Amino acid sequence: MADQLAIASRRGLRPALPLLLPAYLWLTVAIFLPLSAMVFFSFMTDLPLAGKEWSFTLGNYAAFFSQGLYSTLLIASLRLGLEVTLWCVVIGYPAAYVLAKVLKGRSREAIFLLVILPFWSNGLVRIFSWAMVLREGGILDTALNAVLPFKINIDLMYSYPAVIIGLVHSYVPYMVLTCYLTLQAIDDSLIEAGRSLGASRRQVLWRVIIPLSMPGLIAGAALIFVPVVGSFMEPRILGGRTGTFYGTVIEDQFVAVFNWPLGAALSFILLAVVLIILALAAPVLRRAG
Amino acid sequence: MATTRILEWLGRLYIVLLLGFLYLPIIIMAAMSFNASPFYQLPFEWTTDWYSSLWQNDQLIAATWNSIEIAIITTLISTVLGSMASLALYRYEFRGKKLLQALLFPPIAIPWLITGTAMLIFFFGVGIGRGLVAILLGHVALALPYVIVVVSARLQTFAPELEEAARSLGANQWQVTMRVTLPWIMPGVIAGGLFAFAVSFDQFVVSYFLSTPGQTTLPVEIYAAIRKGFTPEINAVSTIIIAVSMALMLLTARFFKFGGEK
Amino acid sequence: MAGVQVANVSRSFGAHKALDDVSIDFADGGFYALLGPSGSGKTTLLRQIAGFDFPDTGRIAIGGESVERVPVEKRRIGMVFQNYALFPNMSVADNVAFGLSVRGEPKATITAEVQRALDLVQLGKLGARKPHQLSGGQRQRVALARAIVTKPRVLLLDEPLGALDKALRVDMQIELKRIQREIGITTIFVTHDQEEALTMSDRVGILRDGMLVQEGPPEEIYDRPQSEFAATFLGDANIFRGVATGSGIKLQDGTMIQASTGASVPAGTEASCAVRPERIRISTGAGIAEAGGANVLKGKVSKRIFSGNNSTYFVDRDRQTLKVIVQNTGAERLAEGEPVVLSWSPDSTVLIAA
Repeated sequence: MADQLAIASRRGLRPALPLLLPAYLWLTVAIFLPLSAMVFFSFMTDLPLAGKEWSFTLGNYAAFFSQGLYSTLLIASLRLGLEVTLWCVVIGYPAAYVLAKVLKGRSREAIFLLVILPFWSNGLVRIFSWAMVLREGGILDTALNAVLPFKINIDLMYSYPAVIIGLVHSYVPYMVLTCYLTLQAIDDSLIEAGRSLGASRRQVLWRVIIPLSMPGLIAGAALIFVPVVGSFMEPRILGGRTGTFYGTVIEDQFVAVFNWPLGAALSFILLAVVLIILALAAPVLRRAG
Repeated sequence: MATTRILEWLGRLYIVLLLGFLYLPIIIMAAMSFNASPFYQLPFEWTTDWYSSLWQNDQLIAATWNSIEIAIITTLISTVLGSMASLALYRYEFRGKKLLQALLFPPIAIPWLITGTAMLIFFFGVGIGRGLVAILLGHVALALPYVIVVVSARLQTFAPELEEAARSLGANQWQVTMRVTLPWIMPGVIAGGLFAFAVSFDQFVVSYFLSTPGQTTLPVEIYAAIRKGFTPEINAVSTIIIAVSMALMLLTARFFKFGGEK
Repeated sequence: MAGVQVANVSRSFGAHKALDDVSIDFADGGFYALLGPSGSGKTTLLRQIAGFDFPDTGRIAIGGESVERVPVEKRRIGMVFQNYALFPNMSVADNVAFGLSVRGEPKATITAEVQRALDLVQLGKLGARKPHQLSGGQRQRVALARAIVTKPRVLLLDEPLGALDKALRVDMQIELKRIQREIGITTIFVTHDQEEALTMSDRVGILRDGMLVQEGPPEEIYDRPQSEFAATFLGDANIFRGVATGSGIKLQDGTMIQASTGASVPAGTEASCAVRPERIRISTGAGIAEAGGANVLKGKVSKRIFSGNNSTYFVDRDRQTLKVIVQNTGAERLAEGEPVVLSWSPDSTVLIAA
């Protein structure tokens, strides 16, 4: 009760304003205004530069719906996102479980750090490192040839699987992190209670642990799915000609084709999709946060 | 129980395999940077030539300096601004506070492709254009939410009575913040700063769209080089970058527990 | 040193009225307790006097100077918080020095004053330690030293002994009184523990639901409570309810209870009587001298609790359970279920208006 009163006496936006304004002003100028500008732009025919004619149009959005290419690519990106996310769940969740429940003490902290570390290093470089492994004449190729009696040509580069591998490698630590945080919070006594009531290991897993891990799984899924859907760098480097996705098409509008309004419209559509997905995941995330 | 033991050892084995999956490519990439063959061919011949040739690459050197400068400035600005905002969110209650906290998510949650292209459009429209200033504007905006989250987490462990006690002893707001609050949250501020540096130094997507010839950052240069073709020079600079990033993160881990443990 | 005047202070948080027209005069140099249950507003009032919060209406003056809009850092008060709020990164000496240091006092002065304050609370040698190396009682004393070293006009304590265990609490009560008397500072402390309020303070203010119920020296409130709440909150009381007769009250079953202390209530209106458990004599009935005009009731012992030097009897009578406390002087012990006779003097009976 005393605490409530203590807080109540610190009401008011005014004293907080000078502390908040700089940061939020920066965010407004660098993020919120640009996002709004992008929406505005997407309704134009051309850049409002001197000497160029421009007018408002829905043409850019119409292009999305009329030209099958864009929606096909969006679906391909969504599918890519889903596949990568699922692989991350399959690979990352067991790892998180071992970290949270099997390892203890200092070894746990150390291993956890090792798993998270690559994730914070340069993503571009990590993708490049996969090129080393997957290409013809690369390590995978050489190693397998050294072991197997017959000559085999592994050239995974510039293929869809390569993109998947690279993306999973980049994002699986996210899943490990979120699932680890959730699993760690699950009281061991819950598991013991389940076992003492006669449940087998598998039943305890399915009916107790996994439901309780949902917030971590969904948080991780959202954190992975969203960026993957918008990725272009990884498909370009590892995917070659097969690496055309929604993200690469948007990138093209800005660096090659210079059809910025179209790029803005395509971007906005992607943003809408992303926001819908985040909105669906938000209730679960809020409970977890 | 035998089954438990077997399962536990399988679990440990799995972790080892996962670590292998995570680190093997990086190790191989690093190894290849010391191999003499320009086409990555074995047998392995040791050399540091690729590293020394980096010094001749003026474009790369310039981009590296840009990256470091921008990262340092980003760190300074975002740490100060972010810490101030965290303090405000900690100390005061007001209508709209939840909204302000929610607004920290878009920069992190929205794909950088969208944020980056949006920035490109907007900066172009208002006359900032592309270049190092634009990149700096972008980096600070991306780093701010991380700093705020980290410093706020540290503030959660700070008892509000401490600020009140300081005030009851006659300290004004400035003295309270500098002499009581700041010393306590310093580990959080430092962790936030290191985060900010890493976010800026490793940032590719936003830098990519806001770059212009002559005003680029290191990741953007690496990307351009990769698109031209793979050379061990790229391996060399990549190995350096990864080593720096990882060292930074190990340093941050000293100040901030990722696992949420005490 | 200065007195504190609180006049008609009210404070609401949204729909909740935390303080309702409270007025108290704290005389210079006195030791005051603000007593009340959780949510009574006692902490709110303390924070108003401190300056962490401002009243909606009313005046607060320290030493005659109006301070109700002055923020805490300018009021020159000293405060001890419930959990001590010692700065964890600083040593004990630095903690105590803080108030002087933010004022810009010269170093030599600070060192001397800090040592004096630490000596006063008997922690003279612990200046170099850090708070986490101290026991609860030691931390409390550091908090006290820190609050008084700046020679504030008023000392405010928010449930200062709440976190200590029983033995330590008693020691600290004595310590606090000793220190307060030595420096003579006006002291106001908040507590929900009525025993603490009774033993330590010169005057007690009882608060309930934001209102001041009664204020005065502990003995006065104890002997002459002005409300049922005051009677039962400060100490134990047996409460009888009925209709005022002019010399006491008449219970529902017709029993008359004579009261010669307390309020004067017009005959015919609702009133209560309060009797302290230790003022009632209990016996099996044989030889109860009806000393002129004593109040007498019959009942049956329902429970007996032995507490070493005294015993508590719970006596059932006419749908009411009365509490009687007797010293164990070796006289006959009464058994559960025994019919007994209770008697007490009208002087011990306090009439309370409804």
